[in-house]
Amino acid sequence: MDQNSLHRAGNKALRIVHGIGLFLAMLVICLPGIWIVLSSLRPTVEIMAKPPVWIPQQLSLDAYVAMFSGVGKGGIPVLDYFRNSLIISVTSTLIAIAIGMAGGYAFARYRFHAKSAMFLGLMLTRTVPGIALSLPLFFVFARLGIIDTHFGLILVYVALNVPFTIWLIDGFFRQVPKDLAEAAQIDGCTRWQAFWQVEFPLAGPGIASAGIFAFLTSWNEFALASQLTRSINSKTLPVGLLDYTAEFTIDWRGMCALAVVMVIPALTLTFIVQKHLVGGLTSGAVKG
Amino acid sequence: MKGWRPSPPLLLLLPAVIVLAAVVMVPLLLSLYSSFTPFRLTRPETFWVFIGARNYVTILTSRDFWIAFARTVVLLTVALNLEMLIGLGLALLVEKASRGQRVLRTIMMFPMMFSPILVGFQFKFMFNDNIGLVNNALQALGLTDRAIPWLIDGNLAFIAILTAEIWSSTSVFAILILAGLLAMPREPVEAARVDGCTPWQTFRYVTWPFIMPFAFIAMTIRSLDVARAYDIVKIMTDGGPAGRTELVWTLVARTAYGDARMGMANAMAYFSILLSILFTVYFYRKLAAARTQIAAEW
Repeated sequence: MDQNSLHRAGNKALRIVHGIGLFLAMLVICLPGIWIVLSSLRPTVEIMAKPPVWIPQQLSLDAYVAMFSGVGKGGIPVLDYFRNSLIISVTSTLIAIAIGMAGGYAFARYRFHAKSAMFLGLMLTRTVPGIALSLPLFFVFARLGIIDTHFGLILVYVALNVPFTIWLIDGFFRQVPKDLAEAAQIDGCTRWQAFWQVEFPLAGPGIASAGIFAFLTSWNEFALASQLTRSINSKTLPVGLLDYTAEFTIDWRGMCALAVVMVIPALTLTFIVQKHLVGGLTSGAVKG
Repeated sequence: MKGWRPSPPLLLLLPAVIVLAAVVMVPLLLSLYSSFTPFRLTRPETFWVFIGARNYVTILTSRDFWIAFARTVVLLTVALNLEMLIGLGLALLVEKASRGQRVLRTIMMFPMMFSPILVGFQFKFMFNDNIGLVNNALQALGLTDRAIPWLIDGNLAFIAILTAEIWSSTSVFAILILAGLLAMPREPVEAARVDGCTPWQTFRYVTWPFIMPFAFIAMTIRSLDVARAYDIVKIMTDGGPAGRTELVWTLVARTAYGDARMGMANAMAYFSILLSILFTVYFYRKLAAARTQIAAEW
């Protein structure tokens, strides 16, 4: 074999190895999700079977039907949980975005005293572990009587989301050239008008993705919600997942079905924002 | 006060500061106070008894606490390093792909959408010694003829938790490092190749310095909520078997809500907060350093 074809063969081998590596990596990433979807569609007998049944013999939507059929018929109050999750996540996201936009704009456009210390300080409030924060919050909320209410959880999630929202939105405002708003101001806009008519539309997609990120955080949060909610008044989906566990047994099929219901909205939203999300995180952090 | 107007950035940041003060800072001060009391939820009057640093002394001399603390540090260190390495590998693999990069990137983000508690259940299901996918697969492939007690043996449970943790968080690293790779100018790499660098040298001295800040961004973001691991551990083993996978966070939860010893739990919680802050500040400073370096070069 001459040099040339040897090289070509080597390249080809490398490409195949790369393809296999890529395939295996993607398989590992997808497998748990696929397994959950599959398990939610199989009868419990098949999940529990020993030796295992690899190829599903029968698929059905029984688990979903049972789940939505309500308490007492093998279901859980999933619609209540879903409603609570939705109300709490959407409201807290909207408020966090409003606050985050103000804060992000301040960091992106102004110079002020102790700016970076302030930024780090805001971020550090986010590092407090949910379970550590839940202890005093539980106590305070019990005193104020806002345990097991939407309001209490919304308040907590706003605080949870504000620091990261500021980080992201700061990054998106930095991507909008300063000159544009200045030009608008020279043409007679007030700063307020310049913001809403020039900078906001340009940073809009980024702000939307920051919103979706905040939404996902609230949607998925468990440590705080599990302590601050009690009943169907305010229990969210992640807490509701525990309804499928009994003392020693777990209804795997029902749990998988609820997991699918929980992941689908998150999945859809992430697909929409993925491009902007990365841009906001990196531009804010690299350009300083 | 007439004539004095607060500066615009101050006004703009005010809502954020107010919310964070009300929901995070004030409760934390309250819990700092209660960590100096023998406060129990069942006996409210104990809230007003001051016992000095006795809770802290009890904790610092408690073997169980130190073991849990050390285990948490080990878990975080191992997990963060592995996530970083695997994420880097994944990003390089995807960057090399000639087709379907968009699809690959979307798949890569998949684990990010899973709630940590969901990740916990999912892996509890897969590592179940009787019906779990992992054991079934190992047995079907003939690698083992008995069921491996993944979540029942202490060390194996630690590995299972580590796997869940890595699965759920590697994508943060992969996505940000990939963003760095894609934003990187092509010329330096080509110049290095023309100058006769081996692929390893090219990576080590050209590519890596470019993507390092992106890796630190990922590290900083990750360290902001390292305590996510609580959800996973809570579901998978709840600190068991016999406290072999107990982390600081599960210990806090058990002391507070299981034993109702709030004062003690708050004292422990302060250690866990300290831990999180240390991790974040460390990576944030690395990020700042990498940023100035990049600013000088770009």
